[in-house]
Amino acid sequence: MQLKKVIESPCGLRFMLDELELQSGYARRWLLDSPMMTREGEITASYAVLRRFADFFNQVDPIHISTLTNKLCGLKDIHTTIKNLNQGSVLDDIELFEVKHLAILSTDVKKLLQQHGMDEVVEIPALDKVIDILDPDGMKIATFYIYDSYCAQLKDLRNQMRQHPDEQDDLLLQASELEEGVRKDLSRQLHPFATAIAQAQLALAQIDIYLAKAKQMKEMGLSFPSLSQDGTSQYQAMFHPQVKKALAGQGKQFQPVDIAFGHQPTLITGANMGGKTVVLKTLTLCQLLFQFGFGIPAAAAQIAVKDEIHFCIGDEQSVEKGLSSFAAEMKNIDAVIKASRENKKLLALIDEPARTTNPTEGAALVSSLLKVLSGRDMSLVMTTHYDIEPGEARCLRVKGFENGAMDYRLVEVQDGEVPHEALNIAESLGIDSEWISMARSQLENSPSSGKMDKH
Amino acid sequence: MLPFIDEILRYDSLSIVGLEKNTGKTECLKYVLDRMPVQSKRIAVTSIGIDGETVDQVTRTQKPEIVLREGMYFGTSEMHYRQRRLVSELIDVSDENTSLGRVVTARALTGGKILLSGPSSAISLRRWMGEMRRLDIDLVIIDGALSRMSSASPAVSQSMILATGAAYSASMSTLVSKTSHVVDLVNLELTSEDNIRTLMPLEKGVWFIDNEGGLNSLEALTSLSKDIHFEGMEDCRTLYVAGALVDGFLEKVRKNKTLKQVELVVRDFTKIFVTPQQFRLFLKSGGRIRVLQRSKLIAVTVNPTSPSGYVLDSDTLCNKLSEAIQLPVYDLLKNKQ
Repeated sequence: MQLKKVIESPCGLRFMLDELELQSGYARRWLLDSPMMTREGEITASYAVLRRFADFFNQVDPIHISTLTNKLCGLKDIHTTIKNLNQGSVLDDIELFEVKHLAILSTDVKKLLQQHGMDEVVEIPALDKVIDILDPDGMKIATFYIYDSYCAQLKDLRNQMRQHPDEQDDLLLQASELEEGVRKDLSRQLHPFATAIAQAQLALAQIDIYLAKAKQMKEMGLSFPSLSQDGTSQYQAMFHPQVKKALAGQGKQFQPVDIAFGHQPTLITGANMGGKTVVLKTLTLCQLLFQFGFGIPAAAAQIAVKDEIHFCIGDEQSVEKGLSSFAAEMKNIDAVIKASRENKKLLALIDEPARTTNPTEGAALVSSLLKVLSGRDMSLVMTTHYDIEPGEARCLRVKGFENGAMDYRLVEVQDGEVPHEALNIAESLGIDSEWISMARSQLENSPSSGKMDKH
Repeated sequence: MLPFIDEILRYDSLSIVGLEKNTGKTECLKYVLDRMPVQSKRIAVTSIGIDGETVDQVTRTQKPEIVLREGMYFGTSEMHYRQRRLVSELIDVSDENTSLGRVVTARALTGGKILLSGPSSAISLRRWMGEMRRLDIDLVIIDGALSRMSSASPAVSQSMILATGAAYSASMSTLVSKTSHVVDLVNLELTSEDNIRTLMPLEKGVWFIDNEGGLNSLEALTSLSKDIHFEGMEDCRTLYVAGALVDGFLEKVRKNKTLKQVELVVRDFTKIFVTPQQFRLFLKSGGRIRVLQRSKLIAVTVNPTSPSGYVLDSDTLCNKLSEAIQLPVYDLLKNKQ
């Protein structure tokens, strides 16, 4: 699963990518093409490197960082040129320029990193010989042409051109043959370095990415996660950066959430506007950030590696695909059930399943979904509005409406009974009092106090 | 040396704009390049828009390649760089792709011929100009096609030369009046610095600034939209059209009583597609039009020969036009002889 395949996930991953200050388009493309990490070793190694870059970023004088990022701005995607070189083609002037430009750039970046003992963290192959080949006069500037010093005859012809502009066309023709000979020779000399050049390009992209991630960690207050050994995931003071930013724009604060879950299904109940969906979004986001090696938006996090992450949220763009929202939702959940049979490590985050159907069937669907998935080896976090029997599930409830304000923290409760706060919340929103009080009196007069009968 | 060469060197950028194909724009560029002091100044040349064919595709007339002199910098497409007929040193290859490949910046190491086809979007032109500043270029010369296809505008340059001629109109009086209309547009004054700062980033839509300096969007994508109306705009001080300004819109503004005192702002003269009649009516009724960017018009050149072979009298044309626009007018081909 490549990053670009999940970037539009409704969990808000795009926001994190948009806020990531990458210097080069090449690094961005490479990052978007990179696959999700599913092996523990891979993730640990990636965070070890990121930790080095985060320390570097936090400890080094910002002027050194900006020198480095300014350099990385110049990184270009020259994979076609490298491919041509590797295949033994003769490179043209533009391609030779690109190779020289990259060689000088990577050497400069390597030197900068060396000054801070960072050159071993991401290894950049030495390309001094490549520079020597393309810089016969030792100018050490990243410009290029078929230099006079490659060929004495060429030098003569060019001097003649300057003296006899009227014979230019003829002289250019003679020169072009000599130039082509030089290009052939240069391409032959450069051929053995094709792999090293490709590695240098990749290393620069990675440095760009690690630096951007380190910067993002500092700016957004993200943390390094630890790897969970027992399959449970735990977050302390978890937050959603995009929602936090939006709230800050309105002068409000995001209330961080603590949550832990393992193989036992977790059911989150709570009032409308209780932030249940935001909890699921944030959990999905954190899991993806973890498996793509980003900082985690929480004070502390211990996360279990998963093979697949399923985030099922009701109101997706599915209607565009010609499915009703109910049909789309059913299909998404169906995919979770099928995947759960395949012996994969699965994380499923399901937001209010069957919310759009009638309460009787809805509750039946949710309660049986919980039963079906309970026996499986997977992590399931589900929110619901319906009063259902939790069975084996652990129940969390959003604390809810207290003293006129929402408390978004989660508390463990013994059963899945949903709190009846809709009317209080509606009142606090200033909704028409005739309507609300009529609803209230109807509830008081009904024998089941508005709760559905449990069978 | 004709006087405008000295004047050109007072600015950091010059665009040469042809009002029609075959009005002598390329001749004018050649004339200017031949007279640049390359020993003492760093000169860079590019063209905006795809304008590099050796033979003009529309009229089949010969389109000369540009002759660069040793030491000049230039920006052209990859494709035309490969076809260059001079020795040059590569300095930069841009990331942006045009239909002819990326834009390449290089320095001529010998004199010789090159087809120019540089940045074609407003953003890439801005980047290229920035790159030229980084290279300490003294003067950037833009071969500025007036094209609705390209978002790059020659009005980003500090100074400008307009090339007009019989190809634009074969009737002398029509040619004079059409050219003076364009000159009037080029000479439109800049709006206030506050307005420039606020409006420059807006690349589309219709907007207005109220008396408190607040920016408001009009729910219309362009001034072409039929159902544009000006309600709730009693406190509108400045009305900004980011895209094309057309007759219908200008007429609506003119006839609207609440917008009597309003200042109408467009990005630059290349965005104005109104007829001289509507333009004059608007000004007569007390309307004001201002721009976000403008170039100092240095001179106008004429090519009295049309591609069909029709020739106007050069001296009469130069005199009549000069009188109408109050600026020097030159026939460069004639002056060369």
